[in-house]
Amino acid sequence: MSIVDAIRADAAGLLQTGRAKLVLGYRNRQGRRAPILLADAAGADQLVYDAECRQNLAAYLRKPEVRQQFPVAVVAGPPVMRSLVMLSAESQIPAGAVTVLAVGENEYHGALDLAATAQLLREKYADPAPDEELLRRVREVAAMSEEERAAFWTEQFSKCTRCHACRSACPGCYCQWCISKRNVPQWISTADLSHGTFAWNITRAFHHAGRCTLCGACEAACPQGLPLMLLNACVAECVEKEFGHRTGYDLEEKPLIGSWRPEDDDGFVR
Amino acid sequence: MEKTETIAENARAGFEPRIVAFVCNWCTYAGADLAGTSRLQYAPNVRILKLPCTGRIDPLLVLKAFEGGADAVLVSGCHPGDCHYTSGNYHARRRWSVFGKLLAFAGIDGRRLYFSWVSAAEGQKFADLINSITKEVRSAGPFDPVNPARRRT
Repeated sequence: MSIVDAIRADAAGLLQTGRAKLVLGYRNRQGRRAPILLADAAGADQLVYDAECRQNLAAYLRKPEVRQQFPVAVVAGPPVMRSLVMLSAESQIPAGAVTVLAVGENEYHGALDLAATAQLLREKYADPAPDEELLRRVREVAAMSEEERAAFWTEQFSKCTRCHACRSACPGCYCQWCISKRNVPQWISTADLSHGTFAWNITRAFHHAGRCTLCGACEAACPQGLPLMLLNACVAECVEKEFGHRTGYDLEEKPLIGSWRPEDDDGFVR
Repeated sequence: MEKTETIAENARAGFEPRIVAFVCNWCTYAGADLAGTSRLQYAPNVRILKLPCTGRIDPLLVLKAFEGGADAVLVSGCHPGDCHYTSGNYHARRRWSVFGKLLAFAGIDGRRLYFSWVSAAEGQKFADLINSITKEVRSAGPFDPVNPARRRT
């Protein structure tokens, strides 16, 4: 049985037995991959899966419409699986609310609960191949002088229209009241000026420290083509190097910024 | 102790660094107070803002300072283990470790952002710290022309 057939069979089975009231998956829409929320087993043959299914469906789990339908099942490749484990570790998914239709690299691992998903990730997908092109670009920016870097980001951020598509696409952005929405006091200016754009993009990247699974959904969603993954990769590298933290492999992982150890790095303090 | 520079001397050089210091109520503010009551002179370029704890110092406060035209920002609190609220400075340390590297990557590097632990007994350390930071920022030059976080109308 092909991967797609297996996903369809499992999705239909889950919906028929009531183990899931909703299946979040991908479908074909005029040759492109779009999300689909299935409530009826009869529609399971619309589900597809291939390398183009890059949207992170875990982002739908914060929506009240979806949460009312718990338990749900989610079609997930390794980055989405890591997002789901992260959401559970951060208490955003109640126990038993999500079944994972786990698709690996050229392999289907079946319908798993989150504990089994975390174990699968640790055993088979613990070392995702580093994105060489992304790392090369990170090195390139890191090698610039302060002035060049500032100019580089000023130019990049000048394209940002603050549409917040990056926030909508990201499963980690689950706050009901984003800091960028607050206006008393207004932390992040909404004026059409560069400082609010800088504050927004830096704050977004920082709030995902220890939370970002490098799925790439934010950059893919950005209509202006901002290199958001550069910021994410910079934070992820720091988090792994300094604190040995890798997101999405452990259901018991404490939030990185909400926890501490006495032996944390002190080297940058005078 | 390094030689203290006066405003008059520096006005001749043309550039006066504006340094914003976010300090905690219990240690560094008391340390700054001790520097004052001990009549220790230090560079007048620092604007001290007192907060309850370094754990309260949100990175957005630092961004706000840079938006408003600070040439450098200092964050300082109790030594590890000494926090009035037990663990606020440990939380802060982890946060700043990541935030400092992110800001450096975005064009605000280590010459613009400083972290320190200064206890209530370290008036001399506070004075020396401000003097040395002022000197470093002075040699780095005004941040305004390149500051990517600066509010520009």
